[in-house]
Amino acid sequence: MGMFGILDISAAGMDVQQARLEAAAANLANAQTTGQGGAVYQPLTVIVHSILGKNALGSVDSLSADSLPRPAVSGTAQLDVPPRLVYDPGHPDADSRGFVTMPGVDPIASMLDLISISRNYEANLRAFDVTRTLMQRTLDMGNHR
Amino acid sequence: MSSLVSTPVFDVLSRALDVAALKQAVHTANIANAGVPNFHRLEVSFDAQVQRAAEAEEISEPASGAHVVRSADDTVRLDKEMALMAKDAVRYQTLLSAFDRTVGLLQMAIKEGREG
Repeated sequence: MGMFGILDISAAGMDVQQARLEAAAANLANAQTTGQGGAVYQPLTVIVHSILGKNALGSVDSLSADSLPRPAVSGTAQLDVPPRLVYDPGHPDADSRGFVTMPGVDPIASMLDLISISRNYEANLRAFDVTRTLMQRTLDMGNHR
Repeated sequence: MSSLVSTPVFDVLSRALDVAALKQAVHTANIANAGVPNFHRLEVSFDAQVQRAAEAEEISEPASGAHVVRSADDTVRLDKEMALMAKDAVRYQTLLSAFDRTVGLLQMAIKEGREG
């Protein structure tokens, strides 16, 4: 069983967290934008699936790291949340009743997402590091005398 | 394979290293897929025969009965998975060290116990 494939799994994990981070950052950055004529920024979410290898549940002899499940972004979707209405009659984008339409971004949920993304990314990085150390030690095998 | 270094110790060590590498791969996959919907945590499981041999402290080939199976606890807990990974990484390095020491014994025999 090759160990290089294990590094690819960690890289796939970090890739997914990167995509989630981009979506969360875009949502927070656009939270205060106003909509013109009813069109308002729609918060994004990242759809992640596990790609299962052919014989993921096999024995050690038939198994390689390539057959273990790895996460992949299968796309981004717009969250189906109603926009927020903020009363601001002086605003150029305000409607006839004085309300401005803003995206229905939940700032607390977005911040919690950021914590989860950061922790997941760090965990993948740590796993990558451990695998790399083990590979390095394996290369050094027998060189200690 | 019959060769100079084909001793039971080397065979068992290399099989055990295979299992330890598989465990690292499974921990990595669990961490990478943590939080993904419909992902079930995986773990390395051993055949009953290997379990019995381990309990009886017999020398057996550990990899002969190692399988990747779905874990009983389906969701990945990141902190627990990291702790298990650290533990298994130390085991892996213990095996490498055991391999080194076995080579050291062979070298001592080759040099008839003399230094250098």
